Amino acid sequence: MGILETTAGKVLSAYSVFLFLTVLAQAAARRFSTNVLLFSLQSAIIAIQVAVIGYHEKLVEAYVVAALIVLLKVVGIPYAFFRLIEKLQSPREVISATSAAESVFVAVGIICLSYAAVRSYASGVHAPEDSLAASVALILTGAFLMVSRRKALVQMIGLLVLENGIFLAALTTTFGMPLIIEIGIFFDVLIGLLLMGLFVFRIRDTFDHLDVSKLRKLRG
Amino acid sequence: MTIALGVLQVVLLVIGAPLLRGIVGRLKAVLQRRRGAPIWRPYADIWKLLHKEDLVPPSASGIFGLAPLLLLVTSILATAFVPLLANSALLGSTGDFILLVYLLAFGRFFLALGGMDGGSAFGGMGASREALVSSLAEVPLVLGLVAVAIQASNASVVGMTEWALERNFFNISAVHLLAFLALGIVALAETGRMPVDNPATHLELTMIHEGMVLEYSGPNLALIEWAGAIKLSFMAGLLIALFAPWGMATTFSPAALGLAAVAMLAKTFALAVALAVIESGIAKLRMYAVPDFLGVAAAFGTLAVIFTALMKR
Repeated sequence: MGILETTAGKVLSAYSVFLFLTVLAQAAARRFSTNVLLFSLQSAIIAIQVAVIGYHEKLVEAYVVAALIVLLKVVGIPYAFFRLIEKLQSPREVISATSAAESVFVAVGIICLSYAAVRSYASGVHAPEDSLAASVALILTGAFLMVSRRKALVQMIGLLVLENGIFLAALTTTFGMPLIIEIGIFFDVLIGLLLMGLFVFRIRDTFDHLDVSKLRKLRG
Repeated sequence: MTIALGVLQVVLLVIGAPLLRGIVGRLKAVLQRRRGAPIWRPYADIWKLLHKEDLVPPSASGIFGLAPLLLLVTSILATAFVPLLANSALLGSTGDFILLVYLLAFGRFFLALGGMDGGSAFGGMGASREALVSSLAEVPLVLGLVAVAIQASNASVVGMTEWALERNFFNISAVHLLAFLALGIVALAETGRMPVDNPATHLELTMIHEGMVLEYSGPNLALIEWAGAIKLSFMAGLLIALFAPWGMATTFSPAALGLAAVAMLAKTFALAVALAVIESGIAKLRMYAVPDFLGVAAAFGTLAVIFTALMKR
C-alpha cells in the first residue's frame, strides 16, 4: 500500500506538467491526426487524475467517472474522429492563421497568464495552484485553437479541449460534480459532437472543403 | 584519480563516437528492414579517408585546411566538460555552459568559413544554411541550459548534474521536461539529423552539412566526419548528464564505475534507438519550415525559464 500511496501523491503533483505538455504539443501539431491523438492522451491524463482522487478521497463514484472518460474521450471520440477523417478525405494538414512557432509562443503566454489569473484565487479555495492553472490553460488553449485554426474539424478538437479544461476546473475545486450531472455533461458533449459531425458533412457537401475562413459566399 | 577518470571519459567519448554513429545507422537499417552496414563502418570510413590524397581547390586559402582541425579540436574540448561515468569531468570546474555553447559555435563558424573558402556554389549555399540553422538553434540551446542552471543555482555542467543526481526520477519538475524538449530539438538540429538535415544523402539540393563539406576530401574529410560523430556523442552525453544522470558512480571503486558504465551504455543505447525511430518516422522538413521547428524549441526554452520563476522548486 505504501507504494500506491506515494505513486498517487506523485501523480497528483506531476500531472499538470504533462497537461501543459499536451497543450503545447497541440499548439505545435501540424497534422489533424496528431491533434486527435494528443486529445486522447490529455483525456487519459485527466482520467488517471480522477481515479487517483477517487483513491485518495475513497469515492467510488470517481472510478465510474474515470471509466466513462476512458470509454468516451480516450477511445470513443478519437475513434469517431478517425472514422470522420477517413470519410471526409480532406487534406491531413491543419491550416492555421498562425505558424507553429507562433502558436506555441501564444500557448506559452496562455500558460503564464493562467498562472497569473489563478494565483490570488488558489489560496482562497485551498486548491493546488498547478492544477487550477492547468485547467484555465486548457480552457484558453481550446478557445485559441477554435479561433486560430481554419478547418472545422480542428475547431471541434478545440471545443473538446475547452470542455476538458472546464471538467478539470470542476474537479480541482470541488472534487468533481455529482455523478448524475457528470453523466449529463458527457451526453451533452457527445450529442454536440454528433451535431458538429453532421454539420461538417454538410459544409463539405455544399462547399467542397472544410476551410471556415472561406465560408463567405451564399450557395443554394 | 579524478584526472585519470576525466581523461578516460574524453577518450571514451572521442574514440567511441564513430561507433555510436554506426549503431544509429544500423538501427535505422533494421527499422527500415534493410540489412545495413556493420556498426564498425564509420571507423573503416575514417581509416580509408585518412589514407587518401588530399585535394585542395586552387582558389582556397589557408582557412580551408585549418577549419577541419579547429572543428575537431573544439569538439574534443567540448567533450571534456561532460561527466560520463562519475560526476566529474576533465575541465568540469574551469568553465560554464556558456563557454560550452560558444566552443561549439566556434567550430561551426570555422567550418562554414571553410565551406565558403572551397569556392563551389554548393559550399557557399551549405555554409549560409548552416549559419541560419546554428543561429536559430543557439537561442533554445542557451535558454534550455539557463533554465537548468537557474534550478541548480550552478552554471557548470558538473554542478547541474550534481543537482539532478540529488533528485529522483519522480521529482522531475516542469522546467526539466521543457528544457529537455528544447535541448532535444536543438541536438537534432546541431548534429544535422533528420527533420532538419538528412545525414544519409550526399547529393540533394536541400543538403546543409553535406553541401558545406562537398569540397573536402581525404584526411580533411576524415577529420570533419570524426568531429561530426563526436558532436553526436557529445550531445547524447550532455542530455544524459543533465536530465538522467542516475546511476553515475559516487565513489571511485571498480564496482561502482562498472555499474555506471553499464548504466551509461544502456542510456546511450536508448537515445540511439529514439534517434533511429525519429529519423525513420519523420520526413525532412522544407528549409523554410526549419525556423518554425526551432521556434517551437525556443518557445519550450522560454517557458522553461519562466517556469523557474513560477514554480520555485
